[in-house]
Amino acid sequence: MPEIKTQEFSAASAQAMQNPQLQRALDRVGSGFDVARLNAIEEVTPEVWDQWRQEARDIKVHTIEHLDYYLDLLHTNVTAAGGQLHFAKDADQANEIVAHIARTRSVKVATKSKSMVSEELGLNPVLEAMGVDVYETDLGEYIIQLAEETPSHLVAPALHKSKEDVAELFAEKLGIPYDEDIYHMAATARTVLRDKFMEADLGISGANFVVAETGTLVIITNEGNGRLCTSAPRIHIGITGMEKVIPSMQDLATFLRLLPRSATGQRITSYVSMITGPRRSDDEDGPEEFHLILVDNGRSSMLADQALREALYCIRCGACLNICPVYQRVGGHAYGWVYPGPIGAVVSPMLVGLPKAKELPQASSLCGACREVCPIKIDIPRMLLDLRKKTAESPDDSQRSAPQSERIIAKLYARLMSSPGLLRSAIRFGRILQSLGKFAPFSPLTKDGNWIRKAPLPLLSKWTRSRDLPTLPKQTFHELWEQGISDGPRDE
Amino acid sequence: MNDQDTGMPGIPKEEFLRSVRESLGRENAPPAQPYRRLTETTEDLERQASEVRQRISENRPALLDKLADMAQKGGWNVFRAAGGEEAIGYIETVARESGATNIARSAQEVFNQVPVDAALASLGLKVTTVLRDDANSREALREEIRQAGIGITGADYALAETGSLVILPRRGLSRLVSVVPPVHVALVRPEEVLESLDDLFLLRRLEYHQRGGEMGSYLNFITGPSRTADIEMTIVEGVHGPKEVHMVLLG
Repeated sequence: MPEIKTQEFSAASAQAMQNPQLQRALDRVGSGFDVARLNAIEEVTPEVWDQWRQEARDIKVHTIEHLDYYLDLLHTNVTAAGGQLHFAKDADQANEIVAHIARTRSVKVATKSKSMVSEELGLNPVLEAMGVDVYETDLGEYIIQLAEETPSHLVAPALHKSKEDVAELFAEKLGIPYDEDIYHMAATARTVLRDKFMEADLGISGANFVVAETGTLVIITNEGNGRLCTSAPRIHIGITGMEKVIPSMQDLATFLRLLPRSATGQRITSYVSMITGPRRSDDEDGPEEFHLILVDNGRSSMLADQALREALYCIRCGACLNICPVYQRVGGHAYGWVYPGPIGAVVSPMLVGLPKAKELPQASSLCGACREVCPIKIDIPRMLLDLRKKTAESPDDSQRSAPQSERIIAKLYARLMSSPGLLRSAIRFGRILQSLGKFAPFSPLTKDGNWIRKAPLPLLSKWTRSRDLPTLPKQTFHELWEQGISDGPRDE
Repeated sequence: MNDQDTGMPGIPKEEFLRSVRESLGRENAPPAQPYRRLTETTEDLERQASEVRQRISENRPALLDKLADMAQKGGWNVFRAAGGEEAIGYIETVARESGATNIARSAQEVFNQVPVDAALASLGLKVTTVLRDDANSREALREEIRQAGIGITGADYALAETGSLVILPRRGLSRLVSVVPPVHVALVRPEEVLESLDDLFLLRRLEYHQRGGEMGSYLNFITGPSRTADIEMTIVEGVHGPKEVHMVLLG
């Protein structure tokens, strides 16, 4: 598995906010992807859209609840089509399966189309270590492979890079003159990778869906690299999470309507490839061998947890990233692992372990926008709250997200709020402190006196570091009530 | 399993499924409520398919208009040809403007209706039909496709809903002809139009049943040119696949 940096979320996000180039790139996400998504929904009407979402959700609920059954059916049908289905319980096993196939078939060059699961496995270093040349072929993935970085978005992996960055990278790694024309750079990638597609012995792809009924792997791309990777080499290996299975080929109609519109606002992508087994004897071309690797790698722990099971319905469209106010400011790398954004804040803790990623569920204002845009209606905010609860209630003190001091304050606050007498005295005391605040050399209050900018005591000031606290009003609701408020508040 | 596969890593299916079952807390049993689509018989599918065919035959002109509209929105250059001659004329223009010297085409029935070879040869272009025989190995044909400036194919279906061309495997149809050359021309006959994704998948499932569980090695959609927006979200066409795609609608 790739290096886990989920522990560094706070520091990494603070740094990301100070990076003007990244901020510009992130601005494009909201104005580009999300506007396109909204237009696409408008075209089909929100009513129809919602109907599709419900259909898709119903299919996912049914499949995940009977996942073992559909995996068994998938196995039967992949095998019947002449393919091989492999089961990997973790990243190491999945990588070993690919390595074994590469070794026994004397693979020298492999081309890859975009696969988030292969990022999760850390597959490339394993193949490179055994002497296989691996080429990412999705333009964004190719860029980050050259830069030795990781994807920062589910569908636009090199989103964080400017055209100047890419031009410098191409000049340095490919030995060509610096040229920041985007069209020229895409043409360069075409030329370089064209040879690799034809040379490659092995094509590796992910899967957007796998169909149990027919043993079919489905990939959706715009560049055509997926088609080339799965058509030209003599071996094709598909790698995917076990949750990607759907029962019937006919279910694809709904998912093909939802996924491109949610991801990029397209009615459909340029290419949809559905692959069932290796080439047959009559086919003019295509791979001689077809392998599909199903990966667990922590997914069964999501399956076992009723509260988090629905994270497995995700189709990785990225819509929740594009709308998220947190993602839009901190970008993908701050999340510290393969899956960024709101869905990443649920999935990463489950796959790398909650103690290491306990900050991620906090990276949300719980505004609910992710739930609104999710094509499968996944209730992400509910799951983030559940993960926060799990962290807060961890038996291991060091694993809890809140420091001891914050927990004491929360307890005192709870005690205060549940005792009216105590609350009244505290308010009276607070008012005295507040009026004294005016005479302090550096007033902690805002000019209009309505907000406390910096609370006293280091303990409390931490809380006001990133937000202001409203001051106590002249009269509380209780006091107004006692005076009779039928004719409105008398605060003036 | 062959020798290469002895010692294949991973865990046995039963072990994997058992762990999934344990996580779900369920017994080894099919769903209590069987999934509707998976209980359909060949007869059920045949009945639905004949309804689909009926609906399409009654609406064909409207569906062809919709296909042309959606294909254009999807990035195809759409040309509606009254007959084979017009189609050939259009292909000649595409060939001249592309500056291609080599053309690769599939061996499909539609080329009897639209015999392009002679016309293109008279323009001085080399036309290769991608059909394996003793003289033409897979490797030799692949090299021809690489050299080609234009790839020409027919269609199995065309979807009015999305403006997509749908291609299925068959002898004489390489997967690469439509993706490797920088220009792709697709010939679509009126009888190939379907209304929706649902129609397509229903017909495919019916054939799967009729052929005793054979789906064919691929089912490929093409909708417009190859494109990317991976650098600063600027759309660039023709990154790995064709930059220019033409749909010639016959009739």
